[in-house]
Amino acid sequence: MATTLSPARVRTLARWNAVLLTRNRLALFYGVVLPLAPLLLLLTGDDAGVGAASIVTTMTFAALFPVFYNVLAQFVSRRDELVLKRLRSGEARDAEILVALALPGYAILVLVAVLAIPLAIAAGQPVPLNPLVYLVAVLLVGVLFTAFAFWTAAWTRNAEAAQLTSMPVVFLAVMGQMSVAFPDRVRDVVDLTPGAALTDLIRTSWFGLGEPGTERTLDFADTWAAAAQPLLVLVVWIGLAGWLASRSMRWEPRT
Amino acid sequence: MEVRRRTGLLLQSSGFSGDLTVRETLLMWSGLTTGTRPVDDVLDLLRLAGRADVAVRVLSGGEQRRLDLACTLLGHPEVLFLDEPTTGLDPESRRGVWELVRGLRDSGTTVLVTTHYLEEAEALADRLEIMHAGRIVRSGAPHEIAEGHPATIQFLSVPELPDLPVEISHERGLTLLRTDDLQRTLTDLLVWAQRRGQVLDGLQARSATLESVFLDIANAEPVPATSTSGGQ
Repeated sequence: MATTLSPARVRTLARWNAVLLTRNRLALFYGVVLPLAPLLLLLTGDDAGVGAASIVTTMTFAALFPVFYNVLAQFVSRRDELVLKRLRSGEARDAEILVALALPGYAILVLVAVLAIPLAIAAGQPVPLNPLVYLVAVLLVGVLFTAFAFWTAAWTRNAEAAQLTSMPVVFLAVMGQMSVAFPDRVRDVVDLTPGAALTDLIRTSWFGLGEPGTERTLDFADTWAAAAQPLLVLVVWIGLAGWLASRSMRWEPRT
Repeated sequence: MEVRRRTGLLLQSSGFSGDLTVRETLLMWSGLTTGTRPVDDVLDLLRLAGRADVAVRVLSGGEQRRLDLACTLLGHPEVLFLDEPTTGLDPESRRGVWELVRGLRDSGTTVLVTTHYLEEAEALADRLEIMHAGRIVRSGAPHEIAEGHPATIQFLSVPELPDLPVEISHERGLTLLRTDDLQRTLTDLLVWAQRRGQVLDGLQARSATLESVFLDIANAEPVPATSTSGGQ
């Protein structure tokens, strides 16, 4: 396995992956338009509840579409076209091919996360209370959903099948947002999903919402403690998804 | 990695993104390859310059194969592995690939070609390995491999034949003579025809070709039940 990556080769591959993303209208739609669309929710009100819901939905979409679904679809279609097999016959290393495949979607995720800040402020929302935690949460979520994509690709037969095989991860991502609707005992379990961790991190680090509801209950110092558990949840998921992905990696189509 | 840098590999099937153009595909590969030639040189080499801005998706099978070869030749490989490089190519492109392989061979590149085309092997190889049923059954230079295999003489069948000490067979209106001494048998045959005023239409005489050697091997050595059939 590779010990170091060549930045030049990663840049080359990532650049052409980005070009390919723009050549495919459907991919461009779910890669760029879908993650930006939920920001329109900010226009529906200026209280913290609307703000938190909008940002959580936006970042969930940004993790699911440009990162998860895009990486999954690109990996599967490149595998079917034997592009991955051909690339591996050259000097590029496996890790470089994988990182480059994820980079365009990952860049969109980070861009949406950054763009959301001025847009939210313009819509009357508060400045993020702890931008560092917010940013770390976004970066970790991106890594996690990339790993989910590679794992899902292993048992996705072709690009069409991805519409179905993506469901378990989509479910893991959106369940967290519904957490408030569940009874306490179920909620304790749901809180351990990546979607719930992302929801918690955005509500606390940006809006200071420590409890269900729309009252700010946390100050800057509290946000660190509030972030500990959901960040740990994300790291554990990254370990699990990375392990699953690495043991099930398939580079060539099923014959 | 050092090995990858000094070798070129052409897989049996091409793998390209259909949405990139020929030039873009080569640009990408040149970003992944150490010490590349200019993309335009490689486009000329493989007669793809006219198709440079066409999407790979709309290329013909032969053009895709040439693009594949172009990617392989972007670097300056010392050892080149080509897995059936001319499968699916039209005769003109096939000759082009042969010229290319000869040029590389003459400039000191070691080229390892697998092929199902015997005339290709005969035209290109300094050394041949014939594989049958997963085993190498003959090795050597093309003339060494053909050595000891009978030559053939064929002509349109005539009512009477001279008495020659060779294997004679008839198929589809042709008479075939198989002989270990082509010169002598041919002389005997021609002298006989001369004396009788017999015209031998469609007369051909040739030493053993790789094809005849290969067919002999395939017929004489049955495929063992445990292994699958091999190529050449």
